[in-house]
Amino acid sequence: MTGQEKDNELAERLARRSAEVEVLRRVALDVNATLDLDSIYEIVLRTMDECFGFRHAIILLLEDPGMLRVVAGRGYEHQALGGTVVVGVGVIGMVAKRRRLMRMNHLRSQQAYFERIRSQMQEAGRAAELGDVVAVPGLPDADSQIAIPLTIKDKLIGVLSVESREPEPFSEHDETLVSIVASQAASAIQNALLYRAVEDRRRELVEAHASLKQLNETLEERVRLRTRELEQANLDLRETQAQLVRSSTMASLGTLAAGIAHELNTPMGAIHSNADVERRAVRVIKSVLNEPSITGKLGPQPRLERTLRILDEVNQMTLEASERVTRIVQSLKSFARLDQPELEWVDLHEGIESVLILMDHLIKDRIHVIKNYGELPRVKCYASQINQVFANLLTNAVEAIHGAGRITIATKQEGSDLVIQVADTGSGIRPEHLERIFDPGFTTKGVGVGTGLGLSITYRIIENHQGSIQVESEPGRGTTFTLRLPITPTP
Amino acid sequence: MTNGLKLPHEIRAVMNNGLPAVVVTCSADGVPNATIISHVHYVDESHIALSFQFFNKTIRNVRENPHACVSLNDLMGNMQWILDAQYDHSEAEGPIFDEMDMRIEAIASASGMSGIFKLRAADIYRVKSFRSLNHAASNP
Repeated sequence: MTGQEKDNELAERLARRSAEVEVLRRVALDVNATLDLDSIYEIVLRTMDECFGFRHAIILLLEDPGMLRVVAGRGYEHQALGGTVVVGVGVIGMVAKRRRLMRMNHLRSQQAYFERIRSQMQEAGRAAELGDVVAVPGLPDADSQIAIPLTIKDKLIGVLSVESREPEPFSEHDETLVSIVASQAASAIQNALLYRAVEDRRRELVEAHASLKQLNETLEERVRLRTRELEQANLDLRETQAQLVRSSTMASLGTLAAGIAHELNTPMGAIHSNADVERRAVRVIKSVLNEPSITGKLGPQPRLERTLRILDEVNQMTLEASERVTRIVQSLKSFARLDQPELEWVDLHEGIESVLILMDHLIKDRIHVIKNYGELPRVKCYASQINQVFANLLTNAVEAIHGAGRITIATKQEGSDLVIQVADTGSGIRPEHLERIFDPGFTTKGVGVGTGLGLSITYRIIENHQGSIQVESEPGRGTTFTLRLPITPTP
Repeated sequence: MTNGLKLPHEIRAVMNNGLPAVVVTCSADGVPNATIISHVHYVDESHIALSFQFFNKTIRNVRENPHACVSLNDLMGNMQWILDAQYDHSEAEGPIFDEMDMRIEAIASASGMSGIFKLRAADIYRVKSFRSLNHAASNP
């Protein structure tokens, strides 16, 4: 080689180095000018290809301590994206494990040697000693490879791998070039990853803040709704409890009434019978005393006659009292007919009368009860429940009347329905209370006086019988409840 | 070529070509042994390292008689290099061992043979002389 030729070669080499330095400077500037990971991958891979002629390159990031995943590729049919490499397996895995660059030439020859040994072992019956052959991302027929760990302060974040189908395309100088690019790429990727983590965290905080703000804005409404739900649940609970208590009370009353009837009927029968015997005996004594033979002998007996008259009156009172006791016991039984839980054909007038008899001590001479009963057929219902309705309405009517007053009970048939009206001349209901009187827990009787459940239960009983209940009221003048019951409820 | 030895670049390229090499040794009582090894590693201009993976006759021979002959072939089969070497020492750690171990393990791990190709030591040989045989001229 002449001196001129040497000069030319040196000049060419110098020009190439200058161009490479410029490329490296450009790469350093470009990858550090962005925090977008995909842009960094693109710059690195494009530089490898277009500036250095390394057509096949992939970038892998450490996904967890034992696994690398391909995040970008260039020069592959499917860019090898998503492929994984176990740390410690293959050239890339070994580079990640040792965190040292590796340049391998004549890969196919070396692999062929190992495969030959593998076949010999299999033929020799030693297959059990062999592990699985592992496919790694990249060219399936690569013959050379440079793999460089991407590290920050000796901490591995990934691997850059460059491959070729040529047996010896990579020189030590190529190693240096790839190393410099890898170093810049590692720094830029780390910055971008940190930025992404910060951005993710910031976005989470913004979302959390927005959620918190929205929560605060709706908290008051939610508390209000929740309070209402709890109040409703409380009322439902009280209603259920009251119903249970009432059912239990009614059941006890039914049992008690049956017991009373059984225990009282026999002595009352004796009392009634004896009083009747005594009355007839007095009648006989009177008759004997009035016979002429006796009158002639004894003469007038005014003291005896007065005594017999008193005895007769007392007997009459005993008879009436015993009949009244018999009616009360019968009414009690009729009112609390819980021993007959089935739907039955019932005479509503009978139920109303039973209730009135039981409430007689409240009504007495203070309240005049007017009965405008129409012709009613029997109605199919739960007798004890309907009696409870009558008791609730009549109790309210009696309690609404302070001093003297009037209760009018009217019944009639309208088509397939029976209509029962209970009207009183009591204090009436204020308009603002009118629409709440069927709400569970609503009462105007004061704490400890009323449960506020009577009309609520009444409403539900009528509803269960597929009927309806309406109320009209005028403060100071009275209230009228109108019940409407189908004669035969639809099953 | 012998004294003032400096291994040429071409031999280094052949060492990296992935083709197995043939190593011939001889026991103290004169019994020769030829074997194939997977890896001849370039250490410096006058030293090479052979991978010691199995306890075999080669190892026993060079402990008794340090002289060895290494035959390397290029990929085309045209050029053969014969190296006369002398066993010097073994390294079970250090940069040479690490480099050889990493290369063997990289291929073995992907081939399911990590446990089989386990480098036990890098046996360092001093190259006393070398010569090349050009078979291209004799090949038809």
